[in-house]
Amino acid sequence: MPEQVPRLLAVFLTASVALVIARSLLVPDTFGDIGHYRAAATDSVVAHQKKYAGHQECALCHGQIQEMRLAGNHRGVRCEVCHGPAANHVSNPLEVKPPAPQDREFCTLCHEYNASRPTGFPQIDPADHNPHVPCIACHEPHAPEPPGMPGDCSACHGQIARQKAVSHHSAVPCTTCHQTPDEHKVNPRSVRPSKPTERDFCGACHAQERLAGIPQIDLTAHNPAYLCWQCHYPHYPGTS
Amino acid sequence: MQGYIYPNEFELQWSLLIVLYPYITGLVAGAFILASLERVFNVKEVQPTYRLSLLTALAFLLVATLPLLAHLGHPERSYEIFMTPNRQSAMAMFGFVYAWYLMVVLLVEIWFDYRKDMVAWYRDSKGFKRWLYYALTLGSTDISEKALRFDDSAGRWITIIGIPSAFLLHGYVGFIFGSVKANPWWSSVLMPVVFLFSAIVSGIALVLLLYMITTLFRWRPINMACLDKLAQFLFYALVVDFSLEMLDFLHRLYESEESIEILSQMIQSRLFLSLIVLQILLGTVIPLVTLGLFSPGLKRGGFVKVRPEAKQLVYLACAVLIQIGIFSIRWNVVIGGQLFSKSLRGLTVYKVEFLGIEGLAMTLGLLFLPFVILWILVKVLPPWTDQEVGRLAKATG
Repeated sequence: MPEQVPRLLAVFLTASVALVIARSLLVPDTFGDIGHYRAAATDSVVAHQKKYAGHQECALCHGQIQEMRLAGNHRGVRCEVCHGPAANHVSNPLEVKPPAPQDREFCTLCHEYNASRPTGFPQIDPADHNPHVPCIACHEPHAPEPPGMPGDCSACHGQIARQKAVSHHSAVPCTTCHQTPDEHKVNPRSVRPSKPTERDFCGACHAQERLAGIPQIDLTAHNPAYLCWQCHYPHYPGTS
Repeated sequence: MQGYIYPNEFELQWSLLIVLYPYITGLVAGAFILASLERVFNVKEVQPTYRLSLLTALAFLLVATLPLLAHLGHPERSYEIFMTPNRQSAMAMFGFVYAWYLMVVLLVEIWFDYRKDMVAWYRDSKGFKRWLYYALTLGSTDISEKALRFDDSAGRWITIIGIPSAFLLHGYVGFIFGSVKANPWWSSVLMPVVFLFSAIVSGIALVLLLYMITTLFRWRPINMACLDKLAQFLFYALVVDFSLEMLDFLHRLYESEESIEILSQMIQSRLFLSLIVLQILLGTVIPLVTLGLFSPGLKRGGFVKVRPEAKQLVYLACAVLIQIGIFSIRWNVVIGGQLFSKSLRGLTVYKVEFLGIEGLAMTLGLLFLPFVILWILVKVLPPWTDQEVGRLAKATG
């Protein structure tokens, strides 16, 4: 055998032995027993000090509030989501009191308008919606309900409302163009507002020569095959 | 930001360093495949670049993992992929692909190829250098004709193993992207093949650049036969690479999946400069046409006959443009795949930071580092085959 071969083999053998030794020293004993992780990790996690008590523990003393919560819109939000880990409070109820957040910033973590939130989920624009008033002044946090049905479309459609507010249509109320059944406020997805289906609807303002300062068109000549809002975005007209 | 994007798509998770990683890995694979031309396919003209290609591949391979380590942020944990290998994870298996390529292919091939010279340098040197070269020979100092014949034969076999290994190394990088089925910009079975051929293109172009620059600084004449051959192979590789990319492009267009609209918006806006201008026009079409005219790829001596000095400049410009183009390919794949929303309704933006662990300064540093390593490697293991080194070897051998 040429002398190169044993020399090279010695190098690879050393590297392989080093890897085996390193593995025996560094890989935890219980690694791979259950899955691709250290099985004893579950025991380490169990050994951690318990911080959360669980909402059943809360119900033992605060049964009335628990009932109210379970019947309301926050039935899926457990006590410790807002009040924080309560294990210490459970073991020492008189001395350790859990916090009760009152800042608007806390509620807006879930309720600030965000386009990626599902339609119909209560969302507000904190800058517009009663600024500086704590949320809990109007809404009971354990069973929140809107103080009434949303009075204004902007409560849910804030982005459109803000865009319209700076457009030429700022003075036109939403309900001029959208016929909105009251049921829409309760079941926004199943009952939807209407949209204009006739060109004459826009023509009421935009094909009347007597309305000075408003863009005028000839409805018969101006792209008669299309509805106006197919080209002109009505919440921000002037763009197409 | 434009249109609608999900909240978690606002910030790009894979940054400039992840652009750098496939770029560097591609250079490794490409340089090695170029070296195999001489060794396995007996293309004698490129012999002056054989050792330079191997050292270039090694220098870049040593740096290839650093962008990943910097990006992940916990380099001290990297050994764990060797300790507890996860065969279900393509990313986790990279450590083994890398180790195989580094230890079994590249280092062993370099060792067999240099052994005779290292023995000669060991015998000719004194002090530290003598011990360094002795350590590098692993104590194997037999340079009898029989031993050298074995070196040559072993080197050839390792190169034969090395070609599929180089394909595996870079095909793997394309596989990582191509197998992300949720991302229509990445998910394509052609991805590993496209990556591979762009790697070959970038590797040949880099070695061509390095050969010209090092020869220039050593005040040696450039071997035009070698340069022409390199340019010829560069042209062929570029033709295949461009065809595959166009095939992928046409396939996407013909399929016209629901993502096609947002992808075309992205190409026309966010990626216009990097894809249309840098990758396709400057990085591919111009070098392709130029090499087609000047290199012997289509006609012996090329269609346009110019003086060798002018031809060298043309090749140099093409190689630089190709490097820009290949880097743009990596950019367009990695960054492009994260610029559009999975809702297919919006585009986000990526702003490169300058400092910071994933910034431009770090990227430039990591891009410069292989050249420093290559400089050291060249000092220790001179790859030159001209008279100077040959005479030294002869005198001591």
